[in-house]
Amino acid sequence: MVSSVLDSHRLGRAVLHGWSAWRHIVHLGALVGALALSPVYYGRRWRGALALHLVRSSWPLLPWFTLLSTLLSVIIIRIVLVSARSYGLTQYALEMVVRVLVLELIPMTAALFVAMRVTIPAAGELAAMRRSDALEALRASGGDALRGEIAPRALAGMFAVTLLAALSSVIALLLAYLLSYGFSPWAIERYTRIVGHVFSPVVTLVFVLKTLALSAAVSMIPIGSGMHDREDRYGDTSVELRGLVRMFVVILLIEAASLLGNYL
Amino acid sequence: MSEPAPLQPSPERLERRAVLLLLMLVALVGATAVYLLHARGVFESTQRLVLMADDSEGVVVGMDLTFSGFPIGRVARIELAEDGNARILVDVSRKDAHWLRTSSVFTLSRGLVGNTSIRAYSGILTDPLLPDGAQRKVLAGDASAEMPRLVSAARELVANLTTLTAADAALAGMLANTRSVTAKLDQPGGAMGLLTGNPKDAARVMATLDRTNQLLARVDGLVRKADAQVFGPQGLAVDTQATVRQVQALLGDARGSLRKVDALLEEAQGVASNARVASADLGTLRAEVEASLRKVEHLVNEVNRRWPLARDTELKLP
Repeated sequence: MVSSVLDSHRLGRAVLHGWSAWRHIVHLGALVGALALSPVYYGRRWRGALALHLVRSSWPLLPWFTLLSTLLSVIIIRIVLVSARSYGLTQYALEMVVRVLVLELIPMTAALFVAMRVTIPAAGELAAMRRSDALEALRASGGDALRGEIAPRALAGMFAVTLLAALSSVIALLLAYLLSYGFSPWAIERYTRIVGHVFSPVVTLVFVLKTLALSAAVSMIPIGSGMHDREDRYGDTSVELRGLVRMFVVILLIEAASLLGNYL
Repeated sequence: MSEPAPLQPSPERLERRAVLLLLMLVALVGATAVYLLHARGVFESTQRLVLMADDSEGVVVGMDLTFSGFPIGRVARIELAEDGNARILVDVSRKDAHWLRTSSVFTLSRGLVGNTSIRAYSGILTDPLLPDGAQRKVLAGDASAEMPRLVSAARELVANLTTLTAADAALAGMLANTRSVTAKLDQPGGAMGLLTGNPKDAARVMATLDRTNQLLARVDGLVRKADAQVFGPQGLAVDTQATVRQVQALLGDARGSLRKVDALLEEAQGVASNARVASADLGTLRAEVEASLRKVEHLVNEVNRRWPLARDTELKLP
């Protein structure tokens, strides 16, 4: 009896805490979004911090992610082309490659890569700064933690996801052409038509929104969780793990929504 | 001894790299946008073609209109016409529009797995070009709609075959008869026994054949003799030829005689024509002589009347 009351109490606190965490994440996301849309924020005062985090997030990732996505693209395209040819469905192979690889896999891969390499470590940095009261000290000295530390990291994460997704998509389209037709220029028109057929206005909009949503999810959720959650309340799961779980749930929901938008 | 802090690039270098990254993103997104717009045909000059169909199922916006396997147009819009038919508005690129002529035929075919395609066929490429905004009826073909018909026809065929190959069917009887015929052919007598039905009739047929052979041999002998009599050295043909030669000679003589007679006749004809002319003159002469004689008689009468020696010419009857 007592244990069940305690369990329900814990459950209630967990629900309230979760609700509070999501509210904080959304609030933080709105603040960062407002800053991103303010031209004043790109003035001289905060340009340095933005440039620093932008370069730290994207510059080291470019070569490795480009190589990784090229390898993965070659493998996937080759598998799809050979399988389609063996079933006599060559005419559908290219369309399938573009839909599966460019529309679905690449944005998710870029988002997860940036999450692992950039935003989760950035959220850890901010959580450490909060634990050590560095952020409080910054505020006390007249600084702005949101504009100087939190927003640059979040915006840099979003920028990195968008840049890597765009670059990988272009590389994947190029590889699909080369693997299908070789270095001949005579199939460009036909290939362009296939790509145009895939990228209808609705599909293009869904792709753009999905990439932006994924970039926002992998940037804001770990940072928001790091800024909100505290270790001492839930000793069994770490702050990073909770942020990770929330991020994966949102990524899943975004994927489901994009599939609904494309194929329903 | 603590590790030295990693060297950070200078703020200017950081800003340059940041700008480079931003430019890279803008270039990628911009180039992709332009490429996609080109792929969708936004920069292409097009003309409109309206296809009327009973049913537009399977047709989607963006579907290609193909000509000989090459896409030349794109479905821009699908709507209902006032008469309830489907209007499919197709944008055909102007550089490929010359493949469409006024006599072009358009088909809407639906395959078994549901892939619908719109195709154009132009048989006479010297016909006038299809004008902008032209409206054409599209011929629909649905493989899946043919399936029930095909299944029904196959079912009917199987039923007919079953009836045909049943144990009590005519085909079975015919095959049994064929077997008995071939068995009879194998027996002594063979085809002759099969045709006549019994050995007696077969023997009669053989006897008839023998007699026919004999008759033919005799006829052959007769023909040989007749041949000798007609075409032999002393035969009829030789005599006939000699006779014909004589007749030819006679005919030649007769021809000569006839020529002489012809000449005589010509002379007689001349004489006759002279006589005719003379007869005509004789008539005139006679008339003149009569007139003269009448005058002379009148003169004599006058002389007799007036001359004292005139006699009483009155006759007195007793």
